[in-house]
Amino acid sequence: MLSRTERTSALQWLGKQLFNREDPAAFFDPLLERINPMWVQQHTPARVERIEDETADTKTFVLSPAKRWAGFQAGQHVNICIDIDGVRCNRTFSLSSAPAQWHNNGTVTLTIKRLPGGLVTNWMHDHLEPGTTIGLGEAFGDFLIPDAAEPLLYIAGGSGITPVLSQLDTLAAADYQAPVTLLYFVRTQADIIAAQKLHELKQTWTGLTLNIIATNESETPRYLKEADLDDITGVETRRCYLCGPKGLMDLATELLTQRGMAEDRMHSTFFAAPQAALDTDSLGGDVRFSNSDISVSSEGDAPILEIAEAAKLSPRYGCRMGICHQCSCKKTNGTVVNRLTGKSSGPGEETIQLCVSVPQGPVTVEL
Amino acid sequence: MKKMTEVQLSELETDLNAIRDEVLADLGERDANYIRRVVHLHRALEVGGRVMMPFGFIPPVFVAATVALGLSKIIENMEIGHNVMHGQYDWMNDPSLHSQTYEWDTACDSDSWRLTHNYEHHTYTNIIGKDRDYGYALLRLSDDEKWHPVHSLQFINYILLSTFFQWGVGLHEMEFERIRRGEISLKDKLPFLKGFLRKGGRQAFKDYVFFPLVTFPVAPIVLAGNVGANLIRNLWSSTVIFCGHFTQDAETFTEEECEGESKGHWYLRQLGGSSNFTGSRFVHLLSGHLSYQVEHHVFPDLPAHRYPEISEKVQAVCKKHGIHYNTGSFAKQYGTVLKRIASFSLPDRLRQRIAPKMA
Repeated sequence: MLSRTERTSALQWLGKQLFNREDPAAFFDPLLERINPMWVQQHTPARVERIEDETADTKTFVLSPAKRWAGFQAGQHVNICIDIDGVRCNRTFSLSSAPAQWHNNGTVTLTIKRLPGGLVTNWMHDHLEPGTTIGLGEAFGDFLIPDAAEPLLYIAGGSGITPVLSQLDTLAAADYQAPVTLLYFVRTQADIIAAQKLHELKQTWTGLTLNIIATNESETPRYLKEADLDDITGVETRRCYLCGPKGLMDLATELLTQRGMAEDRMHSTFFAAPQAALDTDSLGGDVRFSNSDISVSSEGDAPILEIAEAAKLSPRYGCRMGICHQCSCKKTNGTVVNRLTGKSSGPGEETIQLCVSVPQGPVTVEL
Repeated sequence: MKKMTEVQLSELETDLNAIRDEVLADLGERDANYIRRVVHLHRALEVGGRVMMPFGFIPPVFVAATVALGLSKIIENMEIGHNVMHGQYDWMNDPSLHSQTYEWDTACDSDSWRLTHNYEHHTYTNIIGKDRDYGYALLRLSDDEKWHPVHSLQFINYILLSTFFQWGVGLHEMEFERIRRGEISLKDKLPFLKGFLRKGGRQAFKDYVFFPLVTFPVAPIVLAGNVGANLIRNLWSSTVIFCGHFTQDAETFTEEECEGESKGHWYLRQLGGSSNFTGSRFVHLLSGHLSYQVEHHVFPDLPAHRYPEISEKVQAVCKKHGIHYNTGSFAKQYGTVLKRIASFSLPDRLRQRIAPKMA
């Protein structure tokens, strides 16, 4: 969620009475924004300080969030919001800087790769300029470093390195007392993100083993293989962190499971929306939007958000990948399948995320 | 109502849809900037009015504060609240401007408004017996309703409704006339009444208790100014809304002729049942562009500041299909509204002798 957690207090109650909104502080935003964009209350504003090139298609955005931002733990992600051609777009990205940097000089970084055809990533690369502000949500996610030192294995692919950078930086600064190995898969040597940073870490931190593997520089693609894991001492007993494209994540999970690694010792964080294999035959159905008095039929694995938009409705939405809950809406009856987990909902009234809920038979939602 | 075949109606539908699609394809930063500028103006007027009000013991400041607060309420209700709740800016995905969550600065609860206005009035526009906005179950404005002696005093009712317009709109869903006829019971309306008291109470607390109290030594001045601002808004919004559907040429319809109607027929009814008035850009802003009531009723969810731009195209479509496009100066249109209220307060025989043009 982008809106700040509001305190329940007398002032809050009074604000609601006076300004007819759940976030009364934001009532003054249109005025505050003109004076100083960093005073906006609706979300936490963050000023773009610098934009640095990482590779041909990846940039690092250095941001100064307003002081009231609550901070984060290494490996967490944030929602950001940006207005593009009048439309507010919310997206989720991992923070690539260490929390220490936020504590020391008040900046955080997002390292973002252009997504082919992606509206927000391309806009950020082409139009975002230092000095402007974007909206920032509070950090969330449970891709976190362990409390006590133990041997770790990171397997990252492409821009999946971003939360890993935050964690490695944090571990190095804390003089982490156990071996850490990073297997980093990139397309070519030119696609290594934060190459200099990784190099510096390796120089100063003896516990780190760095293995950067280019997948597309040979005749046949060079993917993760058994031998990569054989070289790592005590690989089965390590705690493992995965972040990268789905193919890499699936392969790594499979190889590690074969070696007897327990599921609860493998942590993964989102990269692209993971999709459960859905049996599309049983999906689809008539969707009734009760507030608009519209009924439409749907087929296959189209989520209700897309069905609603096809029916010319404009529900609120955010990340469109099941993370931010901006599109949460009450379902009054019917069963939906969660696209991410493949799990079916109950048949009764409950709140669902429209962007990842696929109807399974007739469904009614309050939209 | 103009008689058109289903083929003609379907052609009308295609012509109007084309105008709509063209605007939809073009929505973007210009529209976002427009509504954000209006929101900024509203905040400046409201904050300015409230800050100036305690200094209202200086007469010119009192006038300035009251007018600023009155304008702020007018702009918030007409150009922001009404239009946002129609979903005109939902595509912006801005939680502050979303139709389903917006709550406006008037005694009427937004949920109640979305039901009685967006759904009932905009679906059943000017169908006698179905559109409760036609005369607000208080005024007799056509001969579809039988004359009753009580109607002879309806001009007083009209003045009262205009004066307390926000409360009238707030209580609209109460359906007093149906309770009186015994069709529904008071108990059926309890959930609505609860919402009304919550919202109406909130508004009354704000303007008539809280702001006067925090400026205690000058409480009577602040109270008077706030009452004045609400009154300005009530009179203006009531007037604008009456000009939208009760002018001389605005048609009414029967349930029978609208049964199972096509989209084209719905379009035809919106064109015939609504009326515009002309004016400056400022007048259009203050009316929430309901001065383009015809365009609004045909395309209730297009951003209202687009209505002036598409007006010529809508007029061309009307001309092509031989449909009357009802417009005129504010004075002329409002004059016919007053005439309608007055003439239908008379028994039919007398009315036909005095005002034969009011059919």
